[in-house]
Amino acid sequence: MAAALSAVFAVACIEQTPTVVTAGSLPGAPITIEIHIPWSQFAQNLEVFGGYGSPKDLGRGVIATGFAGTLDARTLLRFAPYPSEVSVRDTTGTTRPDDDLTFIGGRLVAFFDTIASTNSGPVTIGLGATLSEWDAATTSWSVAVDTINDLRLWSEPGAGPVANLGTAVWDPVTGDSVQFVLDSATIAGWADTLDLSAGARLDLIDVGGKLEMRAAQLRLRVRPSSAPDSVIEITSRTSAVTFIYDPSPEPPPDGIRIGGAPAWRTVLDIVMPTTLNGPVALCAVVSCPHTLKTAQVNHAALVLTSRAPDAAFQPTDTIGLDARPISNRAAMPKAPLGNSLISDLFGRRVGPPAFSSAPGERIEVPFTMFVRDQLRGVDANGNPAPGTLALLSVFEPFSLAFASFEGPGSLNEPFLRLVLTIGPTVELP
Amino acid sequence: MRIRTLFIVLAVLVPGSEAVAQSLFSAAGMGVPIEALDGRARALGNLGIGLRGSAFLPTDPAAAARYIVSTGVMAGQPSWVDYASESGAKGRFRGNRFPLLGIAYPMFSGIASVQVGSFLDQHFRSDSQGLVQLSAGPLERTDTFEQDGSVSNLNFGYARMLNGDLSVGVTLGRYAGSVVRTLTRTFGIDGSSDLDEYVEAGTWAYRGYSVTAGVAADVGTAVRIAASLQVPTRLHADASEATAGGDGDFDLPVQYRLGVSAMLAPGLVVSASTALADWSAAGDDLVGTAGAGNTNGVGLGVELSRARFLGKDAPIRFGFRRTGLPFSFDDESASERIWSGGFGLALNTTANVVLAGADFAIERGQRKGAGITERFWRGTVSLVLSGF
Repeated sequence: MAAALSAVFAVACIEQTPTVVTAGSLPGAPITIEIHIPWSQFAQNLEVFGGYGSPKDLGRGVIATGFAGTLDARTLLRFAPYPSEVSVRDTTGTTRPDDDLTFIGGRLVAFFDTIASTNSGPVTIGLGATLSEWDAATTSWSVAVDTINDLRLWSEPGAGPVANLGTAVWDPVTGDSVQFVLDSATIAGWADTLDLSAGARLDLIDVGGKLEMRAAQLRLRVRPSSAPDSVIEITSRTSAVTFIYDPSPEPPPDGIRIGGAPAWRTVLDIVMPTTLNGPVALCAVVSCPHTLKTAQVNHAALVLTSRAPDAAFQPTDTIGLDARPISNRAAMPKAPLGNSLISDLFGRRVGPPAFSSAPGERIEVPFTMFVRDQLRGVDANGNPAPGTLALLSVFEPFSLAFASFEGPGSLNEPFLRLVLTIGPTVELP
Repeated sequence: MRIRTLFIVLAVLVPGSEAVAQSLFSAAGMGVPIEALDGRARALGNLGIGLRGSAFLPTDPAAAARYIVSTGVMAGQPSWVDYASESGAKGRFRGNRFPLLGIAYPMFSGIASVQVGSFLDQHFRSDSQGLVQLSAGPLERTDTFEQDGSVSNLNFGYARMLNGDLSVGVTLGRYAGSVVRTLTRTFGIDGSSDLDEYVEAGTWAYRGYSVTAGVAADVGTAVRIAASLQVPTRLHADASEATAGGDGDFDLPVQYRLGVSAMLAPGLVVSASTALADWSAAGDDLVGTAGAGNTNGVGLGVELSRARFLGKDAPIRFGFRRTGLPFSFDDESASERIWSGGFGLALNTTANVVLAGADFAIERGQRKGAGITERFWRGTVSLVLSGF
C-alpha cells in the first residue's frame, strides 16, 4: 500500500500550472511599437580610426597590378629554418637519419585562392629576392621597417629593388598553384633566418588583376652525404607572409568604414534620449513625453546604409560586423574595447553585393544591451555605462577590403531603430 | 532540545507549505482557499470542526486540548483537475500541496501548538498569442501572465480542558507568504526572434494577523459539539522595492464555524459542520472584475469506526460537502461540491493513544462558476505521530 501511495504522489508531484481560460484576471495587454530616431537625436562625434593589426596577421598574400585602375599589391615571404636532417635508406636497406645535407636547388610553390582571385585565364607572376632589410609586421608599400626608433624606407616603393628570380604563368584552369625554380644560391641565401633582408617578393606582371595567395612552400632538393647519388625533396614552410599595397586608402571624410588590413574602426558617441516626445506613432499609444525605461527596450539597432567603396577595396567575401562599447574615448585609438554586443559569434554578416553591385542596403547592427545600460546609467558590472560605441569587423584584420556605409549628414544617414514594449504596471488584483 | 529541533524543522518547511496549482479559480481575486484539513476531515466532508476525539485543525482550536501527549501532524494532497469553459476551452492539470503541518506539546496544563497551514492559492498562468506590426512585417508575439504565490499562515495555539467534557482553545495566526506577478511578452515562434522579451513583474509579501477562539464540549458520551470564531485583521500586501505596483490591503472575513458529531450506534458516527464567511468586503478591495461572494457551506459525514484492517483499527469514512468559493470571474459566484471517502489506520496504539497513524481520503468534486466547470480528483494523506 505504501508503494502504491508513493506512486500516486510521485505522479502528482509533476506540477502543471493552470492556464486561465478567461481574460478577466489579466492586467492588460502591452503595446509593442517600432520607432526610428534620427542620427542627430542620439549620436555624435563619429570618427574613423585605422591601423589596427597588420596584413601579416592574415597569413595570406595579395598581388595586384593596376587592379580597378588603382591598386598595386605585392606579397612578401620569409621562410622558416630548413629541415636539418632527412631519413635515408642505406645499401643494407636500413633507414638512417642524415644531417649532412647539400642543398642543390628547389622550387617555390605558391597556392592561390581561385575564388577570391579575379583572373579567369592565365596570368604572369614575377618572383624576386628582397635585397634590403624589412619587417613583416610593419612593412608597407613605402616603408620597409617601422619599429620603435627604427624607420626605414624601401629604396624603391613597393619592396624594391629585388633580384629577379624569374616569372611563371598561373592558369586557374590547370590548378591552384604556380611554381618557380630556384638555384642553390637563392636557397642558401634564404636559409639564413637572421638575415632581415632575406625573403621573396611576388608580384603580378599582368595589369588589371588581383590574386589572393593562400600559402607558399619551399620544396628543397637535397643530397644527403650517406647517399650522394640520391636527391631528396623536402618542404620548408613560410615563417611570415604579408602584403603591401598602394594606394593606402585615406580615412573617409563623410562615412563609416569597417574592416580592411590594417583594419579600420568607426567610433561614435551615443547619448540615448531618456524621454521621447514623438514620433506620432508612439504618442498615439502612450502619453508623451514618455520616459523610456530599460525594461521597455526589446531591441535597439544602429541602421546603416551600405555604399560601395573604391572598387579596389570592395569586399569579395562576407564580412562580419561587430559592435563593442568603449569606456574611455579619450584613449582612442588605443582605447580598450568591451565585450561584443552582438550575440552571433560571427557578428552581423553582410554579403559582398551590399558594397559593390547593390549598394544602399540597410544593415542593422544590434546593440540593445548598450542602450539598456545607458538608460540604466550603469553596465552589468555596476560601472558607469559606456557612452562610446565602436564598429569594427569581428576578425581584425579580415581582408584587404572593407565595408563602407553612409555617414551622418547624408540622405541615408544612420538612424536608431528601437522596438519598445510598453505594458501596464503590474498591480495586485 | 527535541522541541527546539521540531520548531526549526517547521520553520524550514514553511516554504514547502505554500500552495501550488489546484484550480483555475486561483486566478480570480485573491485566489482559491486551501483549507488546512487532515485526511479524516477530508474523508468525512467536514469543514474543520466538531469531530470526535482529538484533532489538529487550525479551525478547531479547542480540539487540540484532547491530546494528552506531544503530537505532530502532516498532510499531503495531490489533485488532478479537468476543466472546461463555455467558450469551448478545456484541458487538465495536476498538482500537489502540503496544506497542514504542525506539532503540539503539553505544557501549562494544556496543549501548546504550532501550525503552518495554507490559506489562499494564487498560482495560475495565462497565455495569449497575436501579431505585432514592425517595419519588416508582422511578427508573432506571445503574452504570458503568470502569478506564483500564496497566502499561508503560521499559527500559535493553546488549548486546555476546563473539565472532563469541555475544552477551549485560542490560536494566534500570522498571515505570511508572497506573490510574484509577471507579465511577459516574447516575440517570434517559440521566442525565435532577435527581439528580447518584455518583462514587467511585481512581488508582494503578505502580512496580517488573526485570532481564532473555539470551544468544544462532549454532551454525554455520544455527542461532540464545537464552535469557533476567527477574527482576522486586514491582509496587507507589501510591494518589494523593485515593484512598480503599489501596496494593497484586503479585508478578510470573520469566519464562524459550528460542528457536531454523534455516535448513533456502536461503531457508527455521523458528523455535520457548517462554516460562514462573507468575502464581499474583500471584493471591494479588488481592482479587476472578479466577483466576491461567501464561502458559506455545509459538510456531512459518516464513520464506521469499528472497521479493522490487518488487525488494526481502520475506520471507514464517507462524506459530502458543499461550499461557496470566495472569488469568481466577471462578478459571478462559484461554488464547490465534493463527495468523499477514505479510511484511517492506527499503526501503533498504546493505552488508547495513537502513537502513529495515517488517514487517507479521496475526493471527487466539482467547482462551477462564471462559465467554468472543474471536475477533480483529490487525494489526502495525513500522518500523525505522538509521544516523541
